[in-house]
Amino acid sequence: MKRGLSGIAVLMLLTFLISACSGGNNAASTNTNATPAATEAAASTEPKDGGSLIIGVASDPQVLNPNYAGDRVSLTIDQALYAPLFQVNNGEKTFYLAESLTPSEDNLTYTLKLKDGLTWHDGEKLTADDVVFTIDSILDEKQNSFLRANFLINDQPITATKVDDLTVEFKLPQVSPAFEATLVQVSPIPKHVFENEADIEKSTKNASPVGSGPFKFKEYKAGEYLTLERFDNYFGGKPHLDSVTYRIAKDANAANLALQNGEINVQYLDPKDVATIQATNNFEVLPYSEGRLAYLMFNANSDTGALAKKEVRQALSLALSRDELIQTAYTSSEYADPAKSFLTPDALYFTNDVTTFDNDAAKAKELLAAAGESNLKLRYIVQSGNKAQEAISLYVQQKLKEIGVEVELQNMDSSAWVQKFIDLKATDYELALTGYIMGYDPDAYRILFTTDASSNYSHYSNTEVDKLLNDGAGEADTAKRADIYKQVQDIIAEDAPIYPIAYTKTVVAVSKNYGGIDEAVLKPVVIFEDLSKIYQK
Amino acid sequence: MRQLIVRRLLQTIPMLFFVSVVCFAMIKLAPGDPVLSFVTPNMHADDIERIRHNLGLDKPAYIQYFIWLGEMVQGNFGYSLVNHQPVLGQILERLPATAGLMGSAIALAVLLAVPLGLIAGANRNRWVDKLVNLIAYIGISVPLFWLAILLMYLFAIKLHLLPSMGMRTIGVESAVDVLKHGILPCTVLAFGFLATYVRYIRSSTIGQLKEEYVQIQYAFGSKKSTILFRHVLKHVLLPVITLLGMSMGDLVAGAIVTETVFSWPGIGSLGMTAVRGMDYPVIMGITLFSSLMLIIGNLAADILYSFVDPRIKLKG
Repeated sequence: MKRGLSGIAVLMLLTFLISACSGGNNAASTNTNATPAATEAAASTEPKDGGSLIIGVASDPQVLNPNYAGDRVSLTIDQALYAPLFQVNNGEKTFYLAESLTPSEDNLTYTLKLKDGLTWHDGEKLTADDVVFTIDSILDEKQNSFLRANFLINDQPITATKVDDLTVEFKLPQVSPAFEATLVQVSPIPKHVFENEADIEKSTKNASPVGSGPFKFKEYKAGEYLTLERFDNYFGGKPHLDSVTYRIAKDANAANLALQNGEINVQYLDPKDVATIQATNNFEVLPYSEGRLAYLMFNANSDTGALAKKEVRQALSLALSRDELIQTAYTSSEYADPAKSFLTPDALYFTNDVTTFDNDAAKAKELLAAAGESNLKLRYIVQSGNKAQEAISLYVQQKLKEIGVEVELQNMDSSAWVQKFIDLKATDYELALTGYIMGYDPDAYRILFTTDASSNYSHYSNTEVDKLLNDGAGEADTAKRADIYKQVQDIIAEDAPIYPIAYTKTVVAVSKNYGGIDEAVLKPVVIFEDLSKIYQK
Repeated sequence: MRQLIVRRLLQTIPMLFFVSVVCFAMIKLAPGDPVLSFVTPNMHADDIERIRHNLGLDKPAYIQYFIWLGEMVQGNFGYSLVNHQPVLGQILERLPATAGLMGSAIALAVLLAVPLGLIAGANRNRWVDKLVNLIAYIGISVPLFWLAILLMYLFAIKLHLLPSMGMRTIGVESAVDVLKHGILPCTVLAFGFLATYVRYIRSSTIGQLKEEYVQIQYAFGSKKSTILFRHVLKHVLLPVITLLGMSMGDLVAGAIVTETVFSWPGIGSLGMTAVRGMDYPVIMGITLFSSLMLIIGNLAADILYSFVDPRIKLKG
């Protein structure tokens, strides 16, 4: 009998919960206005020491070694564990382990000075030897670091040599301003730990990493969490927090509940969940640019050859509306800025003031007619189960129908999709929605847009662009370089090898119990650039 | 008896071999390429080939299989393609979490299902029966992940009684803490089984109540509850043993969902990650491991049967 009653209780519970959920959503819209005032109040509090921070992450880290970390979670944890040499934000350098980086007259040698008195978490001195060891390991083919390709310029390696304990000299085979962007990705690994390891990637020493960042490794429970504790000798000053924990929450809905329950303090949010989290009034919801371009790709190499004609690509672009696309995929322009250039806003020499083909169906039809194309049929590959992909594909299909172009949607599993997409020989599709994060130096884009380059998936080919991009790679003069990339942006916008949709943003929720977020600098992929600045209120 | 067990155990070897072939073939036939997770856009083709070679993925699939098999026979389950840790170590590390979750969920399901089923069966078509049926239908039809989120919302967010996820409070090492974290995942996992078991026990109770021995007990003037819990119970427990053996497969599937939603650090969530990364050594390891568990579970059920019901003789 009693058990029967508990059954009724369960039923009542279900109904109660459903009503509670919908109530929460309604409250959301009215509460959003309160946030800015709360932010100002927070900014005035003095940083204090102690406390801990829990950051929600979606999976276990793959390998806690900056030479190998390629996944988001490892990169995020490494950012706190291993200090970089320097970072670049809006073209400005912030120096961490390094004190300065000076190019020579001929721009073929860069001299890196380290700060004095740097130590590893285990107390050993961090010197030029460690930096040279790190670069050598990256370049060593046997060590399989994916950073290796960045240290080759036209297949010639960049060499690093120690001058004295605090000075490293880098010799470049040819002038390459993008070298600084390459160094940004390097966080030195300790020579004394890894010196005689045959395979650093598989070394058991990665399980108890020794870094130089604001927090040192404490414990890792696979599948549960990873905790770092304060490193008192951090060169940037003792961090405020006692510890930082990365809690593994694989399910996004569960992670949001844990966030509301205070079991997680910092967490990425899907735009659709923003209203719910904001309604609690306990979180700062911070959208920030992740330096990513989302775009519709035109495969000029398809067997029909239809998209090899510039006019056809322009016509397809004209048939679409960027604003509608942003609404379709990101629900609001708050989470995505309209994109016109192939460069992202964080890139040097970026300009969004370029030709764009947007929302003009009449002109699109004219262009198609002029190009002699009628009854055009296009194949569009879509990742099944990816909501943004599916929504956009339906939108594109409908819009292109209006200009008389038939689009056949080919849904496929995401891994099959990726395999087809990166296959440069694939000729059986014309359209695909995708995106990239290439970093702040525009030279990184050379592999995407020069003829027959390794990642030129749209098979774009324009000899003028090839020349300009190659010149830009080796041009040390900033003004001339700026001019080159301005021209490239104009030409590529005009040629329309891709339809840039939006510069997307990441949304992160941070509990209002924490301060110092501005000083810590929100950063794509790794969330915070310098965790030492975060404090508990 | 002993002979029989040995023979059954030997039979598992070809069975596991077959499972491993099918599993390997399915992984290799599925679209996608594990190397892709290591590739960055500016990597040279020969760099990619070198990674492929280092991981042994440049060889034909059947050779990869035999290499894997050769190592496996010597007790080496290989290394994860993603984090390069030994597969066996990762499975063993996570085994206690999964075993604890599954064991307690099954125990909870049986402990609740038996009395509920008996009472429902004995009060056929009365309101208690209808209620139990309703719960059973809900249990069968409600998706686990949905129930999980619902309970999490109620007990963690609204009532603040239980932690929403994980297996431990950060930095705390205590059995009570683990138990507290285990309540919700265990309840969710148990719910589906409870529903299935209740339905079986109910119908089997209804059948038993028509048997002559029950009528005789009534004639002797035994109380209804005595008949139910002393005599009928024994007969009703028999199908439960079969059910337990059969539900090992569902249990593994349920554990994958439950562990993922609750971030419970077990084999299920490990498997989920491996499938996403096409990490075939880990997938193979987990598949073999759960197949073995399934086979042993069924064998244990058969052996148990012969003890509980003397009419059944195990014959090779």
